[in-house]
Amino acid sequence: MLRLVLGRLLFMVPAGLLVVTFLFGLFHFIPGDPALLLAGDNAPAEVVEGIREAYGFDRPLLVQYATYMAKVLRGDLGVSNYSREPVASLIFPRVLNTAQLAFWSTGLAMIVSLILGCTSAMFWGTKIDKVVTVVALLGICTPVFVSGLFAIFVFSVHFGLLPTGGLASWRGFILPVITLGAFEAAVLTRMVRSTMVDALGQGYIQTARAKGVAEIAVVFKHALPNALLPIITLFGLGFGATLGGSVVTETIFTWPGLGRMMVDSILTRDLPVTQGALLLFALMFIAVNLIVDVLYAYVDPRITYD
Amino acid sequence: MTSVLAQGTGFVGRFTRDRVGVFAAFVLMGLYLIALTAQWIAPYDALTTSLREVFQPPSAQHLLGTDQFGRDVLSRVILATQVTAKISAAAILLALALGATSGMYVGYVGGRMESLVMRLTDIMLIFPTIMLSIVIVTIAGPSEGGVIVALALSQVPKFIRIARGVTLSVKEEPYVEASIAVGAGRWHILRRHIWPNISSPIIVQGTLTLPVLVLSASALSFLGLGVQPPTPEWGLMLNESKDFLRTSPYLLLGPGVALFLFVLASNLVGDALQEALNPRLKGRR
Repeated sequence: MLRLVLGRLLFMVPAGLLVVTFLFGLFHFIPGDPALLLAGDNAPAEVVEGIREAYGFDRPLLVQYATYMAKVLRGDLGVSNYSREPVASLIFPRVLNTAQLAFWSTGLAMIVSLILGCTSAMFWGTKIDKVVTVVALLGICTPVFVSGLFAIFVFSVHFGLLPTGGLASWRGFILPVITLGAFEAAVLTRMVRSTMVDALGQGYIQTARAKGVAEIAVVFKHALPNALLPIITLFGLGFGATLGGSVVTETIFTWPGLGRMMVDSILTRDLPVTQGALLLFALMFIAVNLIVDVLYAYVDPRITYD
Repeated sequence: MTSVLAQGTGFVGRFTRDRVGVFAAFVLMGLYLIALTAQWIAPYDALTTSLREVFQPPSAQHLLGTDQFGRDVLSRVILATQVTAKISAAAILLALALGATSGMYVGYVGGRMESLVMRLTDIMLIFPTIMLSIVIVTIAGPSEGGVIVALALSQVPKFIRIARGVTLSVKEEPYVEASIAVGAGRWHILRRHIWPNISSPIIVQGTLTLPVLVLSASALSFLGLGVQPPTPEWGLMLNESKDFLRTSPYLLLGPGVALFLFVLASNLVGDALQEALNPRLKGRR
């Protein structure tokens, strides 16, 4: 088990390095002078020169790359162009807010999609199945920023029941978590259903039914464990998608998270913050991927990553 | 294995028997017709502001009301259909062209080049579409062209995977070997023998990608990273309506319903095409 985790970690190292390299390149991909970008549009020439020297933009690319790499590995992400605060200390409280939103939304999506997906597969071809399929289809066609705004209108503006967002109390969680969770639940329900329909079509299911196993036991004891492997992958992807979706959700509900911060930094051209936020997002995606791989091998003893 | 012709009619036959799919295809065609003729069918100019007519609720004159600048919302929704149709179609074609060619190429050539490209696509696939497109739009700049490039590049890995997979399975076929034996060039083989096998799964993938791209394009403009005002775009209009929910909630209606309809129709067409191509999937989704 330990060897497996280590092996997967080693696979993720190139991914991480590539991300850092890419983020370093972000400065140089963006057309224009990086020192000018950092200084802002109206900065006087001597300030631009000062920044060029301070950041080492006048030195060879390879030296700059090594310096950046060393800084990132030490956890030094630079300072924000506007607030002059270290990016690392700006980011960390926001990572927690985003992680909370993603965690609760994914949790909700997993539970709902397991229940609906399994029920739908159990009653395959019946009215129940059709209702679930149609509801899930409507769900994947309603983007978070439509359902979120609609939910704000109904529950906050019209009935005045819930806050429009913010972290002040647990009530501020309800709308963002449900809106983001519902979209992901719809995506996952479709996939869980088709995986379960597959599993229920196997020969051993016929055998189980033939020897008189109750239908509930057939579904949950015989089919579900066999469908678990693809479902784990789906849930991992779902968590990644929720993290990505949190960017939009945070904008709707003015949630002080990493995604909103990243978008704001892009709009204001605060490149160090953009880099830092992207790095943290990338690390989270890589971590989710790693966890899925390890869980996968843990559930299925046939799998080894050599 | 049936002949290509029989497969073709079977495919069309299976698709036309799917009533929901055919209906959705008509809706989608209708939406594209609206997109193509937007300038002529929009009742008002989508950009003309009128300070005496701000925030008018839906009426006979303005079926979906007017916005904070007194612009007719219905006209803006219609023009936005064109913007979205253009962006999504251009992005898919670009992704398809780049992904299918490079996927076929690396699959056929193999070797170190193939493993490098596949490793890169593996890493890119770790990140969700919206994240990839946000990163690329940061580089390309928030504009219509930037969004097209960003959305296209975010989908390229998926097309590479499919194209390479099919290429690997057909490149050992006798007709390919025969073609090599008579001295055919690499690009000739890819075009004449490999591409015909890839075209249907790639086109189905293209249709399945359509709703994803429409959603991502409007999400980008909702965030302020996509098409810039005053261009009418559904995501942008929804973002603007956010500030007026209390007083003018009807602003949500037009862009919200239009976006929903476009995504629903393209999802249904994609599902129906996939089932027609691969009948074993029938009823699975």
